[in-house]
Amino acid sequence: MTGEANTTPENATSALAYQPRSEGVAIVIGAAGWLLPGLGHAILKMWGRAVACFLTVGLLVLIGVGLRGNIFSSDAGDAFGMLGYIADLGTGSFYFAARALEPLGSDVAHAGGDYGTRFLAAAGVLNLLAALHAYEAARGRKA
Amino acid sequence: MAARRDPDMGIYLNHFQAMTLFALVISIAFGFLSRRGASERFKYIAWSLILFLLIGVGIGWAMYPFSR
Repeated sequence: MTGEANTTPENATSALAYQPRSEGVAIVIGAAGWLLPGLGHAILKMWGRAVACFLTVGLLVLIGVGLRGNIFSSDAGDAFGMLGYIADLGTGSFYFAARALEPLGSDVAHAGGDYGTRFLAAAGVLNLLAALHAYEAARGRKA
Repeated sequence: MAARRDPDMGIYLNHFQAMTLFALVISIAFGFLSRRGASERFKYIAWSLILFLLIGVGIGWAMYPFSR
């Protein structure tokens, strides 16, 4: 890699994105990514990943709600319900948006509702993975 | 085959549509998170989507003898 190639604006942004940050800053970036899908990557100026995270997690939540999947609450009662709650909470602020967007409540008597539950859980787990990726990228361990 | 919307039922998707949509969205997310560059991402997304669908349909066929 030549010095000239590194002076382009794109490479300058890229170099900024991959600079290792302190543990505290990386945790804040990871938490931001969890709270609003894609925000962690946006702070790191990884725009493509930020948009992809926001849209994919958002789309999964919208489909899950549209299929009338079950959005677990903290008073789930059993271990599986608690696991579902943790997975759903992985979507951060989208969890509360999903609760607001599902006025009719869940309908898991049909296969569609069951699929919706899986879409919502997958959205949460995917967002947790993205937040962890943002944290690792902030620490300079992952590109 | 097309998805339809009923105000009381929400979105209706059949099994294959739900699986395909899920596979597509997850493949895109994985592609963007794990690869850099448009070409690499596109290849990863395409392969991931194909494998999701093939394995999903394969598991469906494998379960068929026990479905009744």
